[in-house]
Amino acid sequence: MNDSMSIPHLIINASGVVQLVMLLLLTGSILSWVVVFQRTFVMRKAKRAYRAFEDRFWSGVDLNELYREIPSEQESEGAEHIFRSGFREFNRLMPKTRSAQAILDGVQRSMRVAWSREEERLNLHLVFLATVASASPYIGLFGTVWGIMGSFQSLSMAQQATLATVAPWIAEALIATAMGLFAAIPAVIFYNRLSAESSRLLGKYEDFAEEFHSILHRNLQGRSDSSAA
Amino acid sequence: MAKQMPKPRRRLREGRVGYGLPTMLAVGLHLGILILSVVKWPFSEPEAPNNAIVQATLISTATTTDQAQQAAEARTRAAQRAAEEESTAEEAAAQEQEAQAEQQAQQEAAQAEAERLAQEQAAEQQAREEAEQQAQQQAEAERQQAAEQAQAEAERRAAEAEAAAKQRAAEEARRQEAQAEAERQAQEEAERKAKEEAERQAQEEAERKAKEEAEQKARKEAERKAKEEAEQKAREEAERQAQEEAERKAKEEAEQKAREEAERKAQEEAERKAKEEADRRSREEAEAALQRLIQGDTDAVSNAEQGEEAANGFIQIVRNAVQQNWNIPPNSEGLSARISVRLGPSGELLVPPSVAESSGNAGFDNTAIQAVQAAAPFSELLELPGNVRNDYRQFNLRFDPGGVH
Repeated sequence: MNDSMSIPHLIINASGVVQLVMLLLLTGSILSWVVVFQRTFVMRKAKRAYRAFEDRFWSGVDLNELYREIPSEQESEGAEHIFRSGFREFNRLMPKTRSAQAILDGVQRSMRVAWSREEERLNLHLVFLATVASASPYIGLFGTVWGIMGSFQSLSMAQQATLATVAPWIAEALIATAMGLFAAIPAVIFYNRLSAESSRLLGKYEDFAEEFHSILHRNLQGRSDSSAA
Repeated sequence: MAKQMPKPRRRLREGRVGYGLPTMLAVGLHLGILILSVVKWPFSEPEAPNNAIVQATLISTATTTDQAQQAAEARTRAAQRAAEEESTAEEAAAQEQEAQAEQQAQQEAAQAEAERLAQEQAAEQQAREEAEQQAQQQAEAERQQAAEQAQAEAERRAAEAEAAAKQRAAEEARRQEAQAEAERQAQEEAERKAKEEAERQAQEEAERKAKEEAEQKARKEAERKAKEEAEQKAREEAERQAQEEAERKAKEEAEQKAREEAERKAQEEAERKAKEEADRRSREEAEAALQRLIQGDTDAVSNAEQGEEAANGFIQIVRNAVQQNWNIPPNSEGLSARISVRLGPSGELLVPPSVAESSGNAGFDNTAIQAVQAAAPFSELLELPGNVRNDYRQFNLRFDPGGVH
């Protein structure tokens, strides 16, 4: 492999448009990897936090105490956030209405809002990953096509079209496709992985919301029975 | 339960995951891949330095061989080399010399190694001998001491015997004296033997030293000879190189001269051709003038002039057309070709253009022919006045990197 065919040399000698495409793909690749790492950390943290909260919740602690322990609305995340918003709504509605159905409706609504906020938080930037995954092969292909166009244009000037005169151009053009695939493949893999993890976690949150709702329902049932009696 | 409390809380207080660490990781990953792809290339190049290692192994094998054998080998090699040198001095082939120089260098290295080893061994041996001598002296002294002690004891015992038992017979005293005498004799004998032993050892030592010295001298002699030979060889090598250099220079000069000559000739030829062309033109002109005179018609004269102008224009058009279709090949400086073109009545190529005067480079000639073929047909010929048309159906084009003339 001589020096003129090394990858850095080819990249430096590429035409402006191809270089621009390469730069775009490199940026896309770096950003997608930033997202991959950041989301991975976030998911790991959220999973650990959920496990800790679940243990705490089912350890038989008093719900009022648990509510006081959890930090305020903005700081709480995950199942804690859902629990907190639901329980706050429950406590606020309790003195105002005697209808158990109205209270449960309010609680469910507020928990649904919290759940959808959590969904947004977990899926943040995953769309970018999906965009890189789907678009960068096409961008790379565009660079290649452009480079090969240039190579054929310059080929028309040359008198003898040997393989040696064509090879550097084609290699240079193909680097763009390679870079596009290089950006796209990890993005696809990690998008699938991260979105699966996020939906699993959201399913767990939903389950927790239902369980909590049923606990409150039981509580209200007992109270309405006792008040009726 | 209360102890478990702080743990989840602390985790919550850490806040959201930042982007600093992920960014660093991502950039680091890309840099790593980039460095891997860049660094991989230079590794294929350096494979050359192997000679030094080979020599090193040779020297190491020399150290493991027997020292005396090595010295003898070195000597025989020196003698062999001298004989070889004499027989092969006339031949003196360059490769052989190089090989010999290499061999010599190796031999010298081996010899030097052997010498060093011999010296070391000699020093060791000397030290050993000194130690032995010291030990012998010590043993002797001890023996003497023991003998003295024994004597003293005997005397003491005799005195004691005299003092303690005066009734002992004089024979007894005499016997004791005889005993002492015998002891003394034995002691003297021992001393004498020790002296002889020492003398013998000294003699052996001297002999050995003399031998070693002789060996060393022989070795030095061999070394000196080898050095002289090496010098001579280096001198011969230098002379040979100088000669080659001179030859090479002479050849280059001759080549350059030949080249210049060829260029000059080509130029002269071109000039000559141009002159011929001019002659031909003037002749044609003269003919035309003659015709004109014969016709005696001013109208015809003006027609002919117009025709000539048009013809000049036609040649110019042809040149431009050919030049536009000519891909000047690279590395064509100094080349020049003349292509002969024959046209049909309507400006098409009658026969394929031929090389009237080659540039010496077939590729260059071919590009010129291709240019003419690509530029044809020259339909502008039809625009020429009929009387001059036939004059321009055959012409030559000169191709050089500056253009078409």
